[in-house]
Amino acid sequence: MTGIFSRDKRSSLIAIGVILIGLLLFSLLTTGNLNLIGTEGFGAYASTINAGDFSITLLSGLLRGMLLFLVASGLSIVFGLMDVLNFAQGGYFMIGAYIAYEVHHTPAIIAAVPDGNLRFLLGVLLAIAVGGALGAVLERGLLRPLYARPLFQLVITFGVSILLLEAVKLIWGVSPRSWSTVFGLNEGSFQLFGQQFSVYRLFVIAVGFALIIAVALLLQRTRIGIVIRAGVQDSQMVEALGINVRAVFTAVFTLGCALATLGGAVAAPFLGASLGLSTEFLLGAVAAVVLGGLGSYEGTAIASLLVGITQAVIAKFGVQYLNQPVWESLSPMILLALVLLLRPSGLFGKE
Amino acid sequence: MHIQKGFQWRAVGKNWLLIAAFILLIVFPFLVGVLTNTDPTARRGLSVYWQGIMIELLIYGILTMSYNILFGFTGVISFGHALFFGLAGYLMGAFQRAPELADGGLLIGILVALVVCAGIGLLIGVATLRLKGVYFAIFTLAIAEMVYIFLSRYEYTGSEDGFTLAALPEWFDPTRSRLTFYYIAAAIFVFTFILIRRLMESPTGAVLLAIRENENRARTIGFNTLTYKLMAIVLAGILAGVAGILFTLLNKKVGPEMLGTAYTVNPLLMTIIGGAGTLLGPAVGAMGLRLLELQLRNVQIPLGDVVLDIGRILPIILGAIFILVVIVFPYGIVGTFTRWRLNQRARHAERLAKQAEALKSVS
Repeated sequence: MTGIFSRDKRSSLIAIGVILIGLLLFSLLTTGNLNLIGTEGFGAYASTINAGDFSITLLSGLLRGMLLFLVASGLSIVFGLMDVLNFAQGGYFMIGAYIAYEVHHTPAIIAAVPDGNLRFLLGVLLAIAVGGALGAVLERGLLRPLYARPLFQLVITFGVSILLLEAVKLIWGVSPRSWSTVFGLNEGSFQLFGQQFSVYRLFVIAVGFALIIAVALLLQRTRIGIVIRAGVQDSQMVEALGINVRAVFTAVFTLGCALATLGGAVAAPFLGASLGLSTEFLLGAVAAVVLGGLGSYEGTAIASLLVGITQAVIAKFGVQYLNQPVWESLSPMILLALVLLLRPSGLFGKE
Repeated sequence: MHIQKGFQWRAVGKNWLLIAAFILLIVFPFLVGVLTNTDPTARRGLSVYWQGIMIELLIYGILTMSYNILFGFTGVISFGHALFFGLAGYLMGAFQRAPELADGGLLIGILVALVVCAGIGLLIGVATLRLKGVYFAIFTLAIAEMVYIFLSRYEYTGSEDGFTLAALPEWFDPTRSRLTFYYIAAAIFVFTFILIRRLMESPTGAVLLAIRENENRARTIGFNTLTYKLMAIVLAGILAGVAGILFTLLNKKVGPEMLGTAYTVNPLLMTIIGGAGTLLGPAVGAMGLRLLELQLRNVQIPLGDVVLDIGRILPIILGAIFILVVIVFPYGIVGTFTRWRLNQRARHAERLAKQAEALKSVS
């Protein structure tokens, strides 16, 4: 992780730049009321661009990107360190959403903690705690005996993701929950070029940015960060130096799962809680991790935002031009397929 | 080694278990008929009920055996095996009920479904099998999910409900002549088993095993591992497609749930519990687990005040069993049994050697 501006990564940065510009142009085209048959020329077209639609699409993309980052960062660091792709990560996101929803909507808790903001905070904290605990259990109890059998590790994380789905089905049933109560943070909205955008979503974007920086600082400036980075390079060497890599594995895995549940919890007020979140966010996050290059933190952060914005653009395009909301649900899979087909080594990947 | 002429009794002795299973498969409908005192050729009754269950078990067996080619023998994990199973059902159904094709639709549908399964397997394989194994797992999951969303949202494919098949020819209809359908399913099951057994006894099978053990080594020796892996995925895709077609014919309807995670997780679970990488394991695992599931589905255990509904918590129980098996019992039922028997034999041989040694020292 020698900074993203080093020479060997310049081409990747240029590639990202081109993709970003392309995406922005695309979203301009899709959000503007494009009339190609018209004879007024480009100038007239440019004036019809709907700045409100455009900025809202961009903000929604950033929002989704932040949520994806919360799932993808754990995936990426864990994969770099232990060579395990945690298929249960999407399940943790889903669990987070259900916990935040339940804490906010259970009558008993409403009676005990009437303040909406406080209750929401409580829900988020509980989600993080549960996510971390489940993560630690998964790593220590289930993955640790299997480091010699990587094929079965993959199978077990997949099995756990199915178990989480079944557990949620058993507790909450199959019908999705949508957030029905309003609380302080969730209330406000602001105008942007004539379009409404909720303050809460902006808040989530800000939290996401703060976490990107926080995790980066953790990796760059702390001792455990150094060990993690060294472990990504060569975990056997780190172990040979007398560092307890296994303990670091558990810590990183716990952190990754806690971040994913946090993502689910903060997303619950606008996405609600449903079984579909699991696969949707897993595949989106995997797309981001692969696009960013397996094991590269900066790559994952940038790619998460790219994937998020692309998804928002696809969703907008699908609804506006094809009148098919199905494209929004398909977008993570399409993106993943494209990334795997076109550049499986990722933008920042070594190989 | 000399070539034996005439009937090889030794081969019968070695394969007595398989031969017994084969005979049981043939007499099963009549055995059930005698035991339940019902007519196996009738259209309803206990006999027909058990034939239906057995057909379902055979289909699960075919699906699981196809999964085992990938996971057990080649060491490639697919998280989207339901894709082949469900898509084949949908394609066959779409052609079968097309009025323009009349009776030929069924045959065309089956052919198209199998060709598409092979083609998709080839495409997915070409795209991702060059890379690390995990990419293949992700890619299959993504494609299966994509097709699932597509089929479950589009009106043409019947959205969430799927669609029912047109009337089948009398002799082939699983409700009107179930016994015939049973023998068709059993024949395909036996054929699949023999095919996989022949494959794994051939040099190609040895290369697949070598890929599972260490792909780099297999490549260094000079095998084009990609070709072999592609062959495995195409074969697995076709066989899963066959299972999907049989399943669709049996139920006379298709629905998006055929592409859901259940039909990926179940073969995985059944392969591991039965014994990944063994010939008999997947069939044993699939039939045993499915039978257990069917029996436990309606069981309710009263525990004090609450009634424990086993059917509802069954997926969780199966998940827990699955995790337990992966960690403490990784060779599955058949794998563990084979190992135990080999161990016994080795010990027996050791004992004989010791006795011989003792005799020698006496003389």
